[in-house]
Amino acid sequence: MTASFIRSDDFAAFVTAIIEAGPVYGPVAKRSRFAFARLETPEELRLDYDVSILPPKKLFFPPAQDLLQFDEAGFRAPLEPTEKVLLGVHFYDVKAIDQTDLLFSERNYDINYMAHRETTTIVAANIQTVSSRAFFASVGADVQPKGHDAFLTAIAGGYVLETLTERGGALLKFGAFQPATDAQLKEAAAVNAAVLEQCPEKLEHGTEAIAAKVRAAFKNEAMWTAMAADCFSCGTCNTVCPTCYCFDVHDTWNVDQTSGQRTRYWDGCLTEDFAKCSLGEGACENFREERATRFRHRMMRKATYLNEKLGGPACVGCGRCSAGCTADIADPVRIINQIMAS
Amino acid sequence: MNHQCHWTEVENIFLPREATIVRSVQATPTETHFTLKMTDGQPIEYEPGQIVELSLFGYGEIPIGIASSPTRKNTFDLVVRSVGRVSGAVTALEKGQSVYVRGPLGRGFDLTKLRGQDVLIVAGGIGLCPTRSLIQYILDRRDEFKRFVLFYGAREPGLQLFTDDLTMWRTARDVEYCETVDKGDPSWSGNVGVITTLFPQVELTPETRAVICGPPIFYRFVIRELDMIGIPRENVFADLERRMKCGVGKCGHCQINDKYVCVDGPVFSFADVQGLEEAF
Amino acid sequence: MSKPKVAFFDFTCCEGCQIEFTNYGDAAFLELINHVDVVEFREAMSEKTTEPIDIAFVEGSFSREADRARLESIRERAAIVIAYGQCSAGGGINALKNHQTDYRQYVYGEDAEQPHLDSQKAQPISAAIKVDYSAYGCPVNKYEVLQIVFHLLHGKEPVIPNYPVCVECKRRETVCRFDEGDHCMGMVARAGCTAPCPAYGVPCEACRGFVDHPNVPALEKVLVERAGFSQKRAAEKALMFTAIDLEATS
Repeated sequence: MTASFIRSDDFAAFVTAIIEAGPVYGPVAKRSRFAFARLETPEELRLDYDVSILPPKKLFFPPAQDLLQFDEAGFRAPLEPTEKVLLGVHFYDVKAIDQTDLLFSERNYDINYMAHRETTTIVAANIQTVSSRAFFASVGADVQPKGHDAFLTAIAGGYVLETLTERGGALLKFGAFQPATDAQLKEAAAVNAAVLEQCPEKLEHGTEAIAAKVRAAFKNEAMWTAMAADCFSCGTCNTVCPTCYCFDVHDTWNVDQTSGQRTRYWDGCLTEDFAKCSLGEGACENFREERATRFRHRMMRKATYLNEKLGGPACVGCGRCSAGCTADIADPVRIINQIMAS
Repeated sequence: MNHQCHWTEVENIFLPREATIVRSVQATPTETHFTLKMTDGQPIEYEPGQIVELSLFGYGEIPIGIASSPTRKNTFDLVVRSVGRVSGAVTALEKGQSVYVRGPLGRGFDLTKLRGQDVLIVAGGIGLCPTRSLIQYILDRRDEFKRFVLFYGAREPGLQLFTDDLTMWRTARDVEYCETVDKGDPSWSGNVGVITTLFPQVELTPETRAVICGPPIFYRFVIRELDMIGIPRENVFADLERRMKCGVGKCGHCQINDKYVCVDGPVFSFADVQGLEEAF
Repeated sequence: MSKPKVAFFDFTCCEGCQIEFTNYGDAAFLELINHVDVVEFREAMSEKTTEPIDIAFVEGSFSREADRARLESIRERAAIVIAYGQCSAGGGINALKNHQTDYRQYVYGEDAEQPHLDSQKAQPISAAIKVDYSAYGCPVNKYEVLQIVFHLLHGKEPVIPNYPVCVECKRRETVCRFDEGDHCMGMVARAGCTAPCPAYGVPCEACRGFVDHPNVPALEKVLVERAGFSQKRAAEKALMFTAIDLEATS
């Protein structure tokens, strides 16, 4: 691990150099919000973004991905990952990527995610603007971000780049980096510590206490029904979540009627048909028919079910679900604090 | 990242293998019994109770419990109920045509917990299909097990599956076979009533290991009978069904609380799932 | 195997959905007609048929009793009837008049009393005949229509989403209309269109109707609280493409 410094004046040249070397994805403005997109120029890069609409997981787990393609000659996986740099990931999203890395690689290694992931150099960046619904400081606070290759922090006059892996170190040759001074490192640490004080929302309890009480609230059907009264089952809280990874799979034919593809699409457990099975003769069994049961399932997933496997909650406090929910009922802070107070 | 880069060296779990239909029998008006052979000649290695993802390109994939025992070499059986897009297309296929399979997937029956024991299998409806893998296994290695009792309930006589097997089991000496139908017809002289009406017909000890598989409603009633016999719930094994999709513990559709039926199951010890509110 | 015979018919509509069928571009359209035999389609050909049909695409709402016999004859001749477009699938924009009394004067002025303008309530064609599948939308999503056709060519039931437009907006990372101070009905609108409107800064009007179980009270609440609608406007907002759905579910 090394710590380097690059002057603000030299930063654009660094970004230009890595763009010239291969695809670079970073936060860019999208109307009034931000999104991760392939950078064409360093000017597009908006390291002052608050939160992206979709988390960067879309680069490894795209909204639609062909698992295989078939034709009369046979079938094959169309997987062709390319080396790329993902620049400017906030630490909460680093934590989320670390979770999906585990979930896609454990037990059955999912090459369709992992191939894209393993060909990505992740450069995290400090949070310059805190989003309106963030609570990253108080959720899973003892889980450290890991899995990234470098961490970039904006300080006075430039950026500190801490490289953590070989991949991260390989970036140094693209810019006018010099060793960071102790004072610069100290300033970077202070910047990253200060942002933790700025979250507008806060969980009031620790991970284990929350997990136990949320789990125990499972049978409080009246509470879940009341909480989900305005739920549209639109799945936005799932779709924008950096730790959600459910999907559905459909086969389709091409116009020639002999070739086609098997494609997976993001799915969400809030949508009505998520747990619905066909029994034949038009009959169905929906294992989570009521809105409230789907709403509850999501909270169980985020606060308790995966904790043992992940070493913390399956929530990183990005606030995307809270902000994205048009009915404003998805906010984990409000839900959990209400359960904890009950 | 934290682990080695090895996507180039790992098998793609979503790519299926081709299998050829060597036998196809219309078992009931909606169910077809297929016998399949891997086209490349390499049989799949599986345990009783495991599942495969069965697919047809363009139609999609469905999870199906293997309905034959690994003791019967080279081929394996699947019973497909025509209820949707994939199953509808598969059941229209004939001998000699190809399907695609991934697997085996999931956890089957833990034979170490059944060997040397009295075994009771209670199968309701299509629940006879995945349990048939175990029934055949026990019959093929009969001396590894003690007493073997099999209960089978179907809605009506015409919906009974594996009728050749049933004929054999009715007179076999190595299985105590009891059957019932919910609703009889003039051809039926056997027991009429729900599956639980079979329990008084056989004396069972609390040391018996029980394997149960049936429609969602079935478990609640069967477990009550097993409780009355005094069989501890850790010795009861339930083969569960949910909307399995990917079969490899990723897509999320088959979850029962925090369990993924496709990788944590489909066979569970009843003790492990009885506390799950979404299980029964 | 002979190619399935496909025919198009229209009732109360603008025929825009049929025009969509001609918009695939030459190459795709020519490939498509290798697989289907279009036997009646007045947007593109003059032939008509009285023969049996494999797939009948029926555009337009059922708004005159006089049309019933023609619908029934299509049903008799067609193996599969597809309600093609929102007028046919859900009543469509024609159903706006179901909530008005003075529309004839408003639209036709002094000609309002002409007898051929006589019509009843606008309803989906399912009010007159059995419909096998629906291609929703105003207009239809021509790519979804292609998938419906491809599925049927292989004897597979078409996949029509029962999740809302929000899912498709998020998949393409569209900025939510509510985040820009606007309104939207994407939370309850049936997806399948790939959400083009919000992507271009236009609210979703639910032109494909609603999902199977829309949370309409919550929709009205959100339109009032977040988009600043009056209660009346919020209640009326849903009527343009979904009036029939609401009657059915209320």
